[in-house]
Amino acid sequence: MRMFALLLLAAALPAAAGDDDDAALSLADKTTAVAAQTSNWHLYLEAAGTEARPQIPGYAVHGERLSFDVKYDDTFVPGLRAVFSDHVDTTRMDGIPGDQNINTLKEAYLSWHAQTDFIADLGRINIRNGVGYGYNPTDYFRADAVRSIISLDPASLRENRLGSVMVRGQKLWDSGSLTALYSPGLVDQPTSNGFSPDLGATNRQGRWQLALSEKFTDKISPQWLLTGGERQSPQLGMNLSALANDATVVYLEWSGGRKTPLLAQALMSPGNEAFRSSISTGLTYTTPNNISLTAEFEYNGAGLDQTNWNALQRGPLQIYGLYRVFVGNVLDLPTTRNLFFYSMWQDAMIKHLDLAAMVRYDAVDYSRLQWVEARYHWTRVDIALQLQIDNGHLTSDFGALPDRRLWQALARFYF
Amino acid sequence: MKIERLIAYAAFLVATSAAGATPNAQEILAASDAIRNPGKPFALTTVLVEYRNSKEVDSNTLTVYSKADTKSGQFRSLIRFVAPMRDANKLMLKNGNDLWFFDPSSKASIRLSPQQRLLGQASNGDVVTVNLALDYAAKLLAEEDVQDGDRQSRHCYKLALAAVSPDVTYDHIEMWIDETNSRPVKSRFYTASGQLLKIAYYRRYQTQLGVDRPTETVIIDGLDPNWVTVMRFSDYAWREVPETWLQRDYLPRFKPE
Repeated sequence: MRMFALLLLAAALPAAAGDDDDAALSLADKTTAVAAQTSNWHLYLEAAGTEARPQIPGYAVHGERLSFDVKYDDTFVPGLRAVFSDHVDTTRMDGIPGDQNINTLKEAYLSWHAQTDFIADLGRINIRNGVGYGYNPTDYFRADAVRSIISLDPASLRENRLGSVMVRGQKLWDSGSLTALYSPGLVDQPTSNGFSPDLGATNRQGRWQLALSEKFTDKISPQWLLTGGERQSPQLGMNLSALANDATVVYLEWSGGRKTPLLAQALMSPGNEAFRSSISTGLTYTTPNNISLTAEFEYNGAGLDQTNWNALQRGPLQIYGLYRVFVGNVLDLPTTRNLFFYSMWQDAMIKHLDLAAMVRYDAVDYSRLQWVEARYHWTRVDIALQLQIDNGHLTSDFGALPDRRLWQALARFYF
Repeated sequence: MKIERLIAYAAFLVATSAAGATPNAQEILAASDAIRNPGKPFALTTVLVEYRNSKEVDSNTLTVYSKADTKSGQFRSLIRFVAPMRDANKLMLKNGNDLWFFDPSSKASIRLSPQQRLLGQASNGDVVTVNLALDYAAKLLAEEDVQDGDRQSRHCYKLALAAVSPDVTYDHIEMWIDETNSRPVKSRFYTASGQLLKIAYYRRYQTQLGVDRPTETVIIDGLDPNWVTVMRFSDYAWREVPETWLQRDYLPRFKPE
């Protein structure tokens, strides 16, 4: 009897498979989707509400934010391209009267494609180097570029920032390219005026950069960088990534050169200028169900080691504050060693639901920052809920952040 | 193996078929590649529509630029995301397993591993142009009648393809190719352990760039037959793709006119 049932099952299987295929093909017959058209405009509006619990126990602080982001990118005559990108944040918080408006003019430049292998640009350009996820020591134009922090997600910090005014030329060949740029000093001081282009933040001094990429093998094509400028020694940088196996990418970002410690830079005091390195290295592993897991080690040779960090924490609060503000503005690590973990799960059990999580751990003072996000998206609308928790002593790397716990709910509309 | 060699295979297949001889499996596969893939650099638009349990759950529009490598003969592809709007102008560059993703918002060029998928059910390898004869060793298993994507019975060569290149998405493939015209009809894709990953039907043949080519691929999940992706191809055009486009450093520069 059992054998008979098995025979019946075996006979039924091909038919069932055929039925499945027929059903799928019938579904495909009904597909009416047509190709979407490209657009030179990319715009979104984002509304967010926050609830923050300060490090010092007290009442919750509520806030609202409305952001508008626009990008225009058009080749308006053959060979000539115009790019404009701007972001405006309007925020309101408990205890602070009125609205705070901050405009970030991210990019405004013209690009001349003189030949297929030579391109020249002029204007405000957001130059972004680095293969690291959480820390980019070769991202030499990051200092003072963030005017408004709306999330500590590294992608958000990279996206919403000022470019620098510069002239840039790039020569491309089949296996690499050489880029040279010069960014002049234009304005002496940054401004707190919300609608200023704030050239004083990005163009206080003349700077230059050379970038060379050359493919060594089919799998490895490192990028070398050399940068320098007024009141700074040249810095050499390298970016390298490679495939370890079908699921794993490994990467290394290194920058080195003579520089004074960050503390001396913050206090504008003469420091011991010496050769110092900064490193960001790690790997990204993707599981079979498409969860990407990144682990990164970050080292800043110009940051404070445990002895000096402890001394600064125990010293005058004013000096500690100056250092933290300076390091925050230049987007560097205050201490020498950090660990960074990031995971991303697209379509997390539910289609269109993306889950992201991040942990930053200071290996010098053992403080940590944890951030999670659940984001659901339709064709034109995203909604997201974010939670950030900062743990550590009140003067530690992450314990000194203003909020112990920060909730943010947001909705973004693309149009 | 160069693209000229593929065309020579196709010509040889026609000649041997006319003489009544059965061509070898690798030649059958090469002739089938020549049906799917234009012989010169080209661009096309791909619309992907994903269904779960008969309901449409996702839709993407991509523009794909492809050019064969003069040394290996294999295609390199530059893929531009057109829709949905949240993904507009993102780019993916694929040269074998050398895979880069560029997001114009964060200006980040990120190396991807082959296991990272950007498009739901469709793997990155599904949306790019591939000459299977260069990456797989073919063996003729049988000649049999199968139902094609338009529910017509076709007399086909059934081939077993085994990966010979490490830069492939699937370990082995079963493929049915129409005996009369070398058109690909159906494929079944497997993991190294023998698990069926996907079934694909090539259908809606239309003349594009001088050859009758499939303008739709229907992908059915190997484990869940209610998970279906329809890939529809349109706007075929010969398009010069400069070598300088096909590298990481050009991604921030890419702006087709």
